[in-house]
Amino acid sequence: MGLEAKDRIRVKLKENETSVRLLLAHPMHTGRAKNETGELIAAVFIQDIRCWRNDDQVLTIKCGTATARNPYFSFQLLGGQQGDKITIRWVDNMGAKGTAETIVR
Amino acid sequence: MTKNRLEQRRTVLKNIISTSTLALVAASGLLLPQRLLAHWPMDAFNAQTIEDALMALLGHADVVNDSVVQFKVGSPPSYAVNGASVPVEIRSTLEEIERIIVLVEKNPNPLAMSLDFTAVVNLPFKSMIKINEDSLVIAVISAGGKLYKTSRMVEVDIGGCG
Repeated sequence: MGLEAKDRIRVKLKENETSVRLLLAHPMHTGRAKNETGELIAAVFIQDIRCWRNDDQVLTIKCGTATARNPYFSFQLLGGQQGDKITIRWVDNMGAKGTAETIVR
Repeated sequence: MTKNRLEQRRTVLKNIISTSTLALVAASGLLLPQRLLAHWPMDAFNAQTIEDALMALLGHADVVNDSVVQFKVGSPPSYAVNGASVPVEIRSTLEEIERIIVLVEKNPNPLAMSLDFTAVVNLPFKSMIKINEDSLVIAVISAGGKLYKTSRMVEVDIGGCG
């Protein structure tokens, strides 16, 4: 069996910044692909991803269908210290939601 | 006679008032969901050309071609075997970045993603996108009220939007 599909965050404290990597579990159907029987698969894709550090919203990502399957993002946050809580939330076009959080150590 | 006519007038007035209030309510009710939906810029993501997408997203499309944006697509650069997941990496020496936009010229809808930065977010930014066919991939950075654009031609073996 494969790994259970779930959203993952990895954070790493560096000299004066925190590196954040996100891997979301989402099929990201564009609405143009076909299944085995030749029917179009309806579009299902993440539209909005938000990232918080503690209580501050630091980044908003708006996605179209051209974001790859199981979206991956990596970025740096200036500063940061041990014990910071990094939270992400996403919403797709069907209204499905996901959330993940981690603590910087 | 006069009484009748007065009553008629009254009902007509009443009707006018009620229809106009109804119209007002309908108008405000119709406006509301649009405002609520505005958090995902649908026009921009459904646009068919780069100019339209930028116009819908930013209100203008005057971009400066600039090399202050370092931009890598594909690995090895400018080439991808599988268009369904092509790595993108954006670096820049610019400060006060407000927004980064990634567009793929030949995709059915060019706008791939739009990132709203705050002051604490720093580059490099990395992600994966889908590319339908050999195409220019464009990164637009909005910083200090100006738009800086860099583009790369990417060759794709297998299209990624099917």
